[in-house]
Amino acid sequence: MRTEVRFSSKRFLLALMLCACSVILLLDDDLDRQTSFTFNLICLAVGLGICFLLFLPSILLKIRTDSDVPTLVRCCTPRLHLPVAIFYAMYFVYTAVFFLLPYTDMFHIKYFPDVTPCLITTLMLLGCAYAASKGVNVISRFGIFLFLFALLTNFLMFGGSIAELDFRHYHFTPEGSAGGFLQNTLYFVTPAFIAAVYACCSGTTRNFRFRQPLLALVFTGAKYAAVLFFIWFALGDYAMRQEYRTFVLSRVAHFGVFAGIESFYLALATMSVFMIVSLFLCCMTRCAGSGGSWKSILLFTAIILALYVTATYLPAVKEVLMQPALMLFFTFVAAAVVPFVYLFVGRKSNAKKA
Amino acid sequence: MPYILKKTADSISGDSMKYSIKEIKNSLQAQFDGSADLSVREFALKSRCGVRVAVFGMEGMVDKEQLSQSVLNPLLVFDFGNDDAAAVSERIFQSVMASSDVIALTSPDAIISYITSGFAVLMVDGADALYAIGVQGYSFRGVSEPESEVVQRGSREGFTEPLRVNMSLIRRRMKNPDLKFEQMTVGSESRTQLMLCYLQSRVSRQLLQELKQRLRDCTLETVLAAGYLSDYLEDEGSGRLFSGVGISERPDTVCGKLTEGRIAVIVDGTPAVLVVPHIFVEEFQGVDDYSNRPYYAAFIRLTKYFSCFISVFLPGLYVALAQFHPEYFPSWLLINTSESLAKTPFPVTLEVLAITIVYEIMKEAGLRIPKSLGHAVSIVGALVIGESAVNAGIISSSTLMMVATAAICGYVTSPLYPPIMMLRLLFIVVGGFTGLWGIVLATAVVLISMCAKTSLGVPYLSSLSPFSLRRMRDVFIRAGWRKLSRHTIRVQKFPETEVPDAN
Amino acid sequence: MRRKLSILFTVLLAVLCTGCDHARQIETAAIIENVTVDRRGEELVYTFYRLTSDEKPWGTEVPAASFEEACRLANERYIPHLSLAMLELLMLSEDVYTEVMRGDVDYISTQPSFSPIAYVTLCDEGAMKQFRQANRVQRLMEEQIILLKKNNPAVNINYLSVCNSLAHGNEKFLVPFLSSEKELKVNDFEIDPAKLK
Repeated sequence: MRTEVRFSSKRFLLALMLCACSVILLLDDDLDRQTSFTFNLICLAVGLGICFLLFLPSILLKIRTDSDVPTLVRCCTPRLHLPVAIFYAMYFVYTAVFFLLPYTDMFHIKYFPDVTPCLITTLMLLGCAYAASKGVNVISRFGIFLFLFALLTNFLMFGGSIAELDFRHYHFTPEGSAGGFLQNTLYFVTPAFIAAVYACCSGTTRNFRFRQPLLALVFTGAKYAAVLFFIWFALGDYAMRQEYRTFVLSRVAHFGVFAGIESFYLALATMSVFMIVSLFLCCMTRCAGSGGSWKSILLFTAIILALYVTATYLPAVKEVLMQPALMLFFTFVAAAVVPFVYLFVGRKSNAKKA
Repeated sequence: MPYILKKTADSISGDSMKYSIKEIKNSLQAQFDGSADLSVREFALKSRCGVRVAVFGMEGMVDKEQLSQSVLNPLLVFDFGNDDAAAVSERIFQSVMASSDVIALTSPDAIISYITSGFAVLMVDGADALYAIGVQGYSFRGVSEPESEVVQRGSREGFTEPLRVNMSLIRRRMKNPDLKFEQMTVGSESRTQLMLCYLQSRVSRQLLQELKQRLRDCTLETVLAAGYLSDYLEDEGSGRLFSGVGISERPDTVCGKLTEGRIAVIVDGTPAVLVVPHIFVEEFQGVDDYSNRPYYAAFIRLTKYFSCFISVFLPGLYVALAQFHPEYFPSWLLINTSESLAKTPFPVTLEVLAITIVYEIMKEAGLRIPKSLGHAVSIVGALVIGESAVNAGIISSSTLMMVATAAICGYVTSPLYPPIMMLRLLFIVVGGFTGLWGIVLATAVVLISMCAKTSLGVPYLSSLSPFSLRRMRDVFIRAGWRKLSRHTIRVQKFPETEVPDAN
Repeated sequence: MRRKLSILFTVLLAVLCTGCDHARQIETAAIIENVTVDRRGEELVYTFYRLTSDEKPWGTEVPAASFEEACRLANERYIPHLSLAMLELLMLSEDVYTEVMRGDVDYISTQPSFSPIAYVTLCDEGAMKQFRQANRVQRLMEEQIILLKKNNPAVNINYLSVCNSLAHGNEKFLVPFLSSEKELKVNDFEIDPAKLK
């Protein structure tokens, strides 16, 4: 049953925070390895600051109109409905593939080396399609369980790695280059995709407070900082030789003879990607104006799968898609530019008519 | 078939309808097609006008002794003098009949409904009134402890089949005029009576209307058990794995739920009472929790949640680890498990599935087998399947252990057994073919389904998701009564409930 | 109804095609618990010890020049369904460690399947002999290594710390050394990275 009741904005931002945290779970390979922990902290602060700036137009849109971009497009600029819907559909398809590629790559290497990653993706997308058919409210309810599981996993991962902390070889001195600063800052702006999701779905929430997105980004930053700290001080150079360093961190974590915490990490990664892609599918259908229609959800799912398969078998396509700068550009347009335009177009009265 | 009354000349002229014994008797005999259990007692009263009366009833449903003492004897000895039919009818109702339960019927169409419920219907030939007299004398099971909801400290009374008895069990516990019973009929053929029971000041009017509409929309011909109505009370498009309709055989449980604004549906002929809305956390709440000390109640609750988790996930995780991730077993367990599995010819997935299904077959057999043969079944189950199969190398002892543990844990929350069983099978298959990753994905999908489910507009996972910190005092733990009594729970006030509180 | 059935069919088909053929059954998987490296004549021999409940260890000897080569040869020729995910102890003989330590630790540090907290230790010939004779010796060795770490936190006892120590230029570092004098004794042993190949 699709629940059309407006739900708590706090819960929605919690779900988005979990989505943002998954970036460091899967994509930490994009960080410049020649940079120190303190240097990365500085990049993190700058990066999240930029994220917040990208979030501002959606926040202001919510405060001024109590609505979101798809609703305002439909009621204020119906002629732009198709181009805006196409743009957001393309953006979310691209972002979904941006997350699916490293996720299935990690599983393909680790667990199912003989199985085509396309099959893993197909099953995952079918599950996400089902979740998307239930709506944003239901996915945000699922986020509560994911949050509890994430708390447990993080506790196990960080608590179990304390024994390996090494302060003799590794230090707090900032070390890095200008190129490293740019690369890492760009990386830490990746979570800004949650602003685009918020811009598309904020109309379904109530009890919005300005501090909610701020806190979401702060906690995301805290999580990133914790992961970076442990990767730097508990794994050190060992981590720099591996592709998925957070995965290695979970492998290192142990409590006496109890190990195997990487299974929790992989479960968390799976559920996070599941939630992210489900939210993206919801956003696409909201922008298309088709609500929870199965046909539109399956259509978008098929498009994501097609792009994913193309990227898997054509390395050139994969390389283009995994460019952080490209991702950032589209996120900037989706999260900041379009909501900014509708700030002046939409008004609360128009939103209430919608 | 409704009674077709032949109008007398007086009724055509606009006066009130006068009933004829002959017509009503013929009509009833036609409708029952001469059924042997229809009983008609016609006799003349001591009256100078020759007034005749008839008493209609069903054999075996009426207490004949009570009927004789409270109705027939007084009528036969009373001298009605020169009273006409109408006056005789009035006098009978006001001062002759000794029965305490007499209902004046508004229409002859209600006769069948009353006589099939154990009433006797009295009519005076030529009068305009019909009386249903409560002289029920049918056999029914006495009030006893329900086997499916056994408690240590609570009441030992459980619902029985007759509707009136169940109503009285609730009324005795809620001595409050706010408690209301509303009668409805379902089933086009069986015309089963049911009562909606609720507290007027606590229930949501919209929720009540919605429930009534769904019961009216029930197109069943026969309703022989409360469970028949569950499907009609579920929300459209809501997942069917878990039930959004609660069932209880305990009056104290039902009364507790009524105070939370829920509605009970008591169906005649079945001891199970439906309670709506129903949410997930209620499956883990028991009557004993509220009688025991809070710390012990919390321990039992947590044990139930843990058992549910084990019952659903243990076999699937075992299969997933054995098939795809043996490195997650501790060394000592890995050695034992691999050695025991190496002795058996079947893959571990097939083994676990087979033992699970065999266990279900044995469970069903145990339910239906006569008690005298129960011992034989136990011996067959334990020795043949358990010990001999392991010794013969058909199944491994570690697999048997896992399945048995999961099965036992499933009974800790027995109302949830059907969905637990289905999920267990699902996770075994998924774990066997896709490993831990598949189990995680399937868990996510199941959680989404549960998050989407509603029960009359109330989210099924209320208290957990949408999360409510205040209600956590009665979810995983049971806070002390001083704390619990500070705030009243009303289901229509749960977050994101799609039914507004009309009060 | 048709839609639900077709989705169910698709999912079942996909599930059945996923990995059932490539499942590593627990009863057929060769779980390796320990690996020892020593010299037999001119060649290096890597011995893979499988997890077993027997008193006597079950080892498979693979002549190879490096750990990477040994794993490849073991999987191809000697031990099908090889699984190194539970590797707990890598024991290097004192006469070979200068030759293989850097390369082997380097290889292990690039493989996601290895546990980074598996123990690395050096040993003498006597300890190696004792190890080949009884399984309980491994438990004893691990306890000794853990005790050594407790008494001397500067000792590097696992791949992770050894790899990080090697990465820091020519700074000397300590590793456990198992000697067979007075039964079995663990001391710390200083390694000079400059001497490693």
